[in-house]
Amino acid sequence: MERDWKAELDDLLKDAGSRPRDTIPVLHQIQEHFDHIPPAALPFIARRLRVSESELFGVLSFYRAFTLKPKGKHTITVCLGTACHVRGSERIAEELETVLGVSAGDTTADGLFTLETVNCLGCCAIGPVMVVDGVTHARTSPQTARDLVENIRTGEKKS
Amino acid sequence: MNRLLHPGHLEDWRKRLIDETSPVRRTIVVTAGTCGRASGALEIRDALQAEIDRLGAGDNVGLLVTGCHGFCEMEPSVIVQPEGIFYGKLKPEDAPAIVKQTALAGKVVERLALEIPGTERRAAKLEQIPFYRKQMRLVSENNFRVDPERIEDYIRLGGYHGLLRGLYDMTADGVIEEIRASGLRGRGGAGFPTALKWDLCRRSSGHPKYVVCNADEGDPGAYMDRSLLEGNPHAVIEGLIIGAYAIGASEGFVYVRGEYPLAVRNVERAIGQARECGLLGKAILGSEFSFDLHVVEGAGAFVSGEETAMMASIEGRKAFPRPRPPYPAEAGLWGKPTNINNVETWATVPIILDRGSAWFASIGTEKSKGTKIFSLVGQVRNTGLVEVPMGVTLREIVEEIGGGVPEGRKLKAVQTGGPSGGCIPAASADLVIDYETLAKAGSIMGSGGMIVLDDRTCMVDLARYYLHFLEEESCGKCAPCRVGTRQMSELLRKMTAGKADESDLRRLEQLAQTVKTASLCGLGQTAANPVLSTLAHFRSEYEAHIREKRCPARVCREIISSPCQYACPIGQEASTYIALVAAGRIKEAYEVIVKDNPLPSICGRACDHPCEIACKAGESGEPISIRAIKRYVCDRAAAEGWDQEVRGDKDRVPRDRENVAIIGGGPAGLTAAYDLAEKGFRPTVFEALPVAGGMLAAGIPNHRLPKTIIAAEVEAIRKAGVEIRTGVRVGRDVTIEGLKTDGFKAFFLATGAWKSMRLNVPGEESKGVLQSLPYLKAVNLGEPVNIGPRVIVVGGGNSAIDAARAAVRDPNVKSVTILYRRTRAEMPAFPEEVEAAIDEGIDLKLLAAPVKILAKNGKVAGALCLKMKLGDKDAGGRRKPVPVEGSDYKVEAETVILAVGERSDTSCLTEKDGVAVSASGSVIADPETKATSVPGVFAGGDVVTGPASVIEAMAAGRRAAAMIECYLEGRPLLPEYKLTRPSLYIEAVALTPEEAVSAARPPMPHLAPAKRAKNFKEVELGLKEKAALGEARRCLRCDLETEDGRRAIKALKLKSGGRP
Repeated sequence: MERDWKAELDDLLKDAGSRPRDTIPVLHQIQEHFDHIPPAALPFIARRLRVSESELFGVLSFYRAFTLKPKGKHTITVCLGTACHVRGSERIAEELETVLGVSAGDTTADGLFTLETVNCLGCCAIGPVMVVDGVTHARTSPQTARDLVENIRTGEKKS
Repeated sequence: MNRLLHPGHLEDWRKRLIDETSPVRRTIVVTAGTCGRASGALEIRDALQAEIDRLGAGDNVGLLVTGCHGFCEMEPSVIVQPEGIFYGKLKPEDAPAIVKQTALAGKVVERLALEIPGTERRAAKLEQIPFYRKQMRLVSENNFRVDPERIEDYIRLGGYHGLLRGLYDMTADGVIEEIRASGLRGRGGAGFPTALKWDLCRRSSGHPKYVVCNADEGDPGAYMDRSLLEGNPHAVIEGLIIGAYAIGASEGFVYVRGEYPLAVRNVERAIGQARECGLLGKAILGSEFSFDLHVVEGAGAFVSGEETAMMASIEGRKAFPRPRPPYPAEAGLWGKPTNINNVETWATVPIILDRGSAWFASIGTEKSKGTKIFSLVGQVRNTGLVEVPMGVTLREIVEEIGGGVPEGRKLKAVQTGGPSGGCIPAASADLVIDYETLAKAGSIMGSGGMIVLDDRTCMVDLARYYLHFLEEESCGKCAPCRVGTRQMSELLRKMTAGKADESDLRRLEQLAQTVKTASLCGLGQTAANPVLSTLAHFRSEYEAHIREKRCPARVCREIISSPCQYACPIGQEASTYIALVAAGRIKEAYEVIVKDNPLPSICGRACDHPCEIACKAGESGEPISIRAIKRYVCDRAAAEGWDQEVRGDKDRVPRDRENVAIIGGGPAGLTAAYDLAEKGFRPTVFEALPVAGGMLAAGIPNHRLPKTIIAAEVEAIRKAGVEIRTGVRVGRDVTIEGLKTDGFKAFFLATGAWKSMRLNVPGEESKGVLQSLPYLKAVNLGEPVNIGPRVIVVGGGNSAIDAARAAVRDPNVKSVTILYRRTRAEMPAFPEEVEAAIDEGIDLKLLAAPVKILAKNGKVAGALCLKMKLGDKDAGGRRKPVPVEGSDYKVEAETVILAVGERSDTSCLTEKDGVAVSASGSVIADPETKATSVPGVFAGGDVVTGPASVIEAMAAGRRAAAMIECYLEGRPLLPEYKLTRPSLYIEAVALTPEEAVSAARPPMPHLAPAKRAKNFKEVELGLKEKAALGEARRCLRCDLETEDGRRAIKALKLKSGGRP
């Protein structure tokens, strides 16, 4: 049976606005709920916000926070801000690319990890910084990055 | 919650809150901004709460969780009030001591107090801690005092009082006048006067009007806005309400980066609280003024921080900037008058209204008033947020508050203002911080990012980083920015990869100008700043990358490849031969070594191994024992006879080119001669001593470098087509003039540094005072020297240790004492040599300086010494020894050997030769081409540099040979620079799990001390096969980290049928 996107979205967005200016907050809410913007829902979102689908697509593809692809179970975000950069964050991102076997922005084939980079998390004094599932880790290194991934993998195997 | 319907209600509530606050003796304030939480602040809070509960101390001890206190380096941290006792880098197990000793008893827990670097003191009070002492915290002060989740905390401290004053004591124009009188300028960028901006918007026709708080703090490296929103959101809200009242706006937006979840949460909660209290909404505080505020969460686009782009984003569109005018004050959000200020500006407004413009204007400089928060990050000891009055110097911030760059590094520059800003070089550190001086220095205040860069930051890489950032963040609307940032980024990538040429530098400069002039918005117009600013101050670094394929800071990986190979002056492929050893391919390893090094066994014993100092493995553990591996390979080659086979006869090279005279048969001369022979020249080495080898043969004793080893390597060089004439002293037996007539077409001066320096103390002329080099020379050449029975050696370099260890082997000697005026950490000698000296019973007296040589009847009787202590650092960064008054003591001895330094030996030159010599007596030669003032005469090694290392001398010889070839071919002297790359790629070995955990640098086996007494047998025995191979397997193989390396390994794997 076809999914009833309208009902689902109406329910999710019952407290949200429906004017064009509410586009970004609405997209945030959908992204948070589904961990991506389901492409099939786009016509319904556009109708609700009274914008054209192409306008909506333009907006959501402009901003890095919105994705059309589902994310992995765990999201690892490496900060590449200047302060982290001068302390070696690029090596950490590369280490994770090697360990996970994906490029930044992608999700592992087993759906376990999504690797992302960000241009600054504003935790510049404790860099290099990475965020794993919403938890910020301070003063990281390629080694700690590898360990974090291993820990999650081990935890996943057990459960 | 209270609804404030009347102006009096606010004050009533404040009084009530003060009365209701139960008095506790002390409050422990836990800093829990994002940085604090990431470092474990909430665990500290829980541990403190548990301890307070356990002791039932809740009536006496309060616990307050606040936003960021700025000293992020020390997170997690607490401050115990009212005394202001600060503890940082806490662990949950520290909680009991903090509660019991400090919060209940008011005592400082000494072990938790902060160490003050460079002293033995510790400090706990805020006013004693250098990081806090110099600050002036106005805007960030409440971050110490309020729980950002409670509006009550803010009200109790007088919050919203400024708003009350604005609404009831002033007209809207009056508020603008007050802001004008305060001199407040925008804290987010170029410093536009805030009152002027407000006034423009107020006077603009159009309705409704809007105010916006720009909290899209996108400049990487700046985070004061996050800290304010997280720690004190009501100050920002109050500022916005005051501004809205002055401008006549009815609605406002706080546009916060989505990357700041805690800030979004805290400001949303605070807006809710303010609305509930009647501080937002209709008829604020019972006045006629109505205003409401919404949070818009950004969605990850740097360009949103540009004001016209931000307005597009708030309207729900792509964050595209548009040309100005019209300015937002005329046509902003939905075409209506709009005023945008950043977080720090808004948060400053209530303070001005509360305390008055006159007070505010009394702080700062003539044109920049008040305080500014900077985020002090990068290569600095105390990182964090610092608030200082305008007008302090950059040096005060970096050195005094920030504690300077980490130990052993040098400040290079400070980057201010984010990607739109620029770099201020260390030489300008005394710059006074205000809007105008920063602009004049080619940077901007920006939002206050201050990224400290030291000698390990590559400026070209930094520019590449910023341009890559800007390329990704360019919104794409206008071509100059979209295409220009991409092109600049690409050129910089090429430069950092060592693949650029001079034309790329010209193109980069042209592009930078185009992007600056033709871009649409502020972001594009400033996008070239990282390039322009680094070029202005650090052009030589660009040139090093482009011309010499060098990265002076050793950052750019595509240039460095393996740090060991890169650091080696002669470019020995350490990572290649180590990989071959790890694979058990020892003979091939030997071939790789001798390809670049004509003195391999010597280097395997006596090199000062810059490779090991650069080794990456040393950053997280011990560096690979590269020299010992090399020695293992060379010893094995000698044992197996590979050396003959590999180095063999070199008659295959037709030797039909010019005669070249090499003056001096040390490492520089021998290397130059060998290289020239390889090129088909006919080199002759003139050596004054009866043996070749220079300092290697006459300066280093046999126990460290056996004569047989030197003889074998000299023989190999001879076989390669080099004529060596020993016992011929140029300047005495023959002259350069004479050699010219004999048909020598070019000369290389490499006579070393043999002139000993004096100590300059009384008694130095006494009989029994020797200089280390003549002493070592005599020992090494087997000439008799009478010393002892008690010997003093003065100095801390390798020459001192060599002399001491030679002396202790003399049959007449009973005791040897080394006097050195600093500590062991400062000794320039190899640490393993010092260790060996102690093993051999040599007495090492540190912090001891001889001030007089004692003599009896003209013969040495000992030395009068002073005890020293280490004082302040000298220009070179070493702590200077200072005498301790009245600490003199005697050391008795019959011989004193001085090893306090050497100078260049230029006795080979006659005035007629015309070669320029420096005031200190060194031959002057171009460091790149080795050319002296006389065409055809080149010089290198210690005679030019003063005493340096074997490997540097060899490198000078190699370069001289290349330049002599240019000279003789009539070409310009242009050294050829190549990227550091291995000549072949070897697959990395896979470590066993045990190896991965436990592999460590193997100890060098030594001859037992008893077996080396009174003889000159070689002490270091060399690694055994298992140890050498094991050590080689530990190599991190940095050579495989370049693009070439990765590609090569992929190809190798495919070839061997493995998985790519």
